[in-house]
Amino acid sequence: MKIEGVFTFNGPRPVVWSVLRDVNILATAIPGETTLKPISDNEYEGTIKLKIGPVSGLFAGKLTVADEVPPESCTLIIEGKGGAGFAKGTGHIQLIELPDNKTQLKYIGDLGIGGKLASVGQRMIDSVAKSMIKGGFEKLEKEVANRL
Amino acid sequence: MEKKFLGQRIKRNEDPRILTGRAKYMADITYHNMLHAAFLRSDYPHAKLNSVDISAALEIPGVIAVYTAEDLGDLWHPGPVLVPAPHSIPGIKANSRTQIPIVKDIIHHQGEVIAMVVAENRYIAEDALAVIIVDSDPLPAVENIEDALKPDSPLVHEELGTNLATYVRQERGNFAEIKTKADYVLQQRFVMDRGGAGAMENRGFCANWEEDSQQLTIHCNTQSPSGLRNSMAAWFGIPEQRVRVVVPFVGGAFGPKVMTNQPEEVLCTFASIKLNRPIKWLEDRSENFIGTTAERMQVHDCEITFNKDGKVLGIRDSFLYDTGAFNPYTATIPLNTQTHTTGLYNIPVFLTEFTSVFTNKMIVSPVRGAGRTYGVFVMERMLDMVARQLDQDPTYIREINLIPADAKFPLETGIIAQDFAQFVLDSGNYPAVLKKAKDMIGYDDFKKNIQPKLRAEGKFIGIGLVLFTENTGVGPYEGAKITVGNSGKVFASSIYGTQGQGHFTVFAQIVADQIGCRVEDVIVETGDTDKFAWGTGTFASRGATVLGNAYHHTAKLVRAKILATASRLFNVPEDELELGDGVVRIADVPEKFIKMGDLATKANPMRGTIKPGTEPGLEATGFYAPPYGATAYGAAAAILEVDPISFNIKFHKFVFVDDCGTVINPMILDGQLHGGIQMGIGNSYFEKLVYDENAQLLNGSLMDYLIPRATDMPSKMEIGHLNTPSPLNPLGIKGVGESGTIPIPPLYCQAIEDAFNLPGLFISEVPLSPSVVYQLVENAKSKKQGELL
Repeated sequence: MKIEGVFTFNGPRPVVWSVLRDVNILATAIPGETTLKPISDNEYEGTIKLKIGPVSGLFAGKLTVADEVPPESCTLIIEGKGGAGFAKGTGHIQLIELPDNKTQLKYIGDLGIGGKLASVGQRMIDSVAKSMIKGGFEKLEKEVANRL
Repeated sequence: MEKKFLGQRIKRNEDPRILTGRAKYMADITYHNMLHAAFLRSDYPHAKLNSVDISAALEIPGVIAVYTAEDLGDLWHPGPVLVPAPHSIPGIKANSRTQIPIVKDIIHHQGEVIAMVVAENRYIAEDALAVIIVDSDPLPAVENIEDALKPDSPLVHEELGTNLATYVRQERGNFAEIKTKADYVLQQRFVMDRGGAGAMENRGFCANWEEDSQQLTIHCNTQSPSGLRNSMAAWFGIPEQRVRVVVPFVGGAFGPKVMTNQPEEVLCTFASIKLNRPIKWLEDRSENFIGTTAERMQVHDCEITFNKDGKVLGIRDSFLYDTGAFNPYTATIPLNTQTHTTGLYNIPVFLTEFTSVFTNKMIVSPVRGAGRTYGVFVMERMLDMVARQLDQDPTYIREINLIPADAKFPLETGIIAQDFAQFVLDSGNYPAVLKKAKDMIGYDDFKKNIQPKLRAEGKFIGIGLVLFTENTGVGPYEGAKITVGNSGKVFASSIYGTQGQGHFTVFAQIVADQIGCRVEDVIVETGDTDKFAWGTGTFASRGATVLGNAYHHTAKLVRAKILATASRLFNVPEDELELGDGVVRIADVPEKFIKMGDLATKANPMRGTIKPGTEPGLEATGFYAPPYGATAYGAAAAILEVDPISFNIKFHKFVFVDDCGTVINPMILDGQLHGGIQMGIGNSYFEKLVYDENAQLLNGSLMDYLIPRATDMPSKMEIGHLNTPSPLNPLGIKGVGESGTIPIPPLYCQAIEDAFNLPGLFISEVPLSPSVVYQLVENAKSKKQGELL
């Protein structure tokens, strides 16, 4: 499944980038109950509890930040596996400077799901993924505001 | 032949038990020390299995055992081929891969079993599944059957070097030659997908190994009790006589339950022997969507050659078939497609070839219709193309191409069928079925007088009429044992599985006619391998035909014993005796009679002597084997309206005409057709298993996989009958179980096209849905005049 969209932050690009690459901040943007902990500068491991329509469960998860070009772009890779199936998402993120100290984040990615998540949760996945991504960016936006 | 009950609309013997909730189903089967199984299934369609960590599952209180492939030892091996390839067909290519009970190294489809948990109850077992850790690496999956044959495709079975499962080419006449002689040649691609069986009751299995008696008792809602007994006996090295399979009442089967050697069957039996406890498993709906069997997609590349007068000279049909990850049923479905394509039409030349293809999907089994549906779909659609090309009415094109009423039956088709015998049209009056369907639907009046008015009112209302054949009642054989008891009740047993077809009644009617008793006094026993040992199973619309004739034959043997015994008792010749109302009486001397039960007691005395050289009791065993299948056929016609906003379908009139030879019970026959038509409607407008490009099922619940509701059905189905007895069997019966399902998809296409009356609208893919038809209509509107297809 293709995922793409934009989100506009009220802050300059270097600040947005610093929030995005703060190991203690990024994991908090993952929605749901999560125990994702940084294991290096660009890797996190732990669990994510997800509910998609009638399917819910605990997923063993891993989040990786790759292909960094500060403060312009990076790739986020998220993998989860659990009793209710599996998910693997890759999202390429680009930060574009806008007038008035604003920054536009453009993302484009692929989300692959399987197991019960796919066979039972399919019809909900699109809207759930969109709302999860939006919720995540809103958390980052708060941190951007804190740093201004 | 006595025919007091045959052909009567008799209420079903089994219904009081079913309707009052007293019938037992798999969920009702219980033992005091029974354990429950649950299965961990693969999320990945194709993956390398590295390891399975069951340690956390074993620590859950109430978990008795957790098994993986290693635990099976020598019992881990692929299952047998259930139906062999048709090796008599020259040029056949056949690669066979059968299911394994539990994954050891490579996962071949989503839903394959990776581990089994046995626990005190299902809740605990399911909780234990959730903590099993599977380490596997996903591999590229084979999803699309057209891509699967390309050289760069991933392979389902690496060691085969190809995804080709079976290739079969059959030709009647010479298509290449006839193509050069025809006025017209049209080519068209057709795609037909078929879904699951959607039985109300999912699969269920309970194995009970008793160490002391060395006896394995299996309760299962199988379609093939004998096949299941034989396969479990072979797998575990137990004599067949020590394996008893009992089938309780079954909430529908429709094909998938004919499969034996299924992973859950092997594993539950294994665990029962290992633990010396009864083990039960009930399939849940999610498992049913990924872990049982279904039918699947065919992609056809067709050519039809015909002359200006509309007479078809020849057809070529080359198709691909998605057989899933394994092919234990080999080629039954595509062979059925080949044999049912030209159907009841006189098509001199016919070239048909198929390639069935392995994919990383759940395996296929026949589902009601079982391949016939695809052949009928492409044939009927091609005749509609001819009608359009020549600007003729579709029923006229059918009429002039039908095999005439005075044809010299039986007619050989030259095409090998699913029973490896040549498909032979045994009998029929095909023009009569067309005429009857046309009359019943009011075809000419609708076209001439009614439709123009409705069109003028802006309504999208169309008519369709299609024809089909159904090769039914194939071999190898069935058998029965009939005993007249001391109570006068007649016990009639076979090993045949029953799933709601009315077997307790129709076979009782056949037996009662011969024995001379009431229908309700014949106790029919089905599906208990200890009551009768021989038989094959419920498939191919064969119960009434094959087992019905076995019962008829056996009842005649018992009748002969009754007459011989009574003749000795009364000291009168047999031809002066008559049987009826549960007594044997001397004709013309009404006061001189003996009750059947009393005669049975006299035939099996506890002291004294019986006549040397005779057998005790009033009992016989008999068999019937058909030389090849009996040909049922019929027509479906409908007037339907498409709502221009929702694109939902409303039937104004629905007609089904069927010729299944001698009718045993017209009420049950109508019910069989109603149910079949419902499945055909599902296959036309609702049911489709949707996979993503990685072969992941995307609609594995009844929330997203739609089954037609009562409101989606025609409010009335008018059923018409012709009765051309089959010359193949003494009762003249042809099967009917699948007829209702077979012709419905092309009927929808033809009637929907007629409703919109757009030159650019031609439907070549089913199943349809409201959104698909909306898209097709919008596309057709944007096509230029003259662009037909």
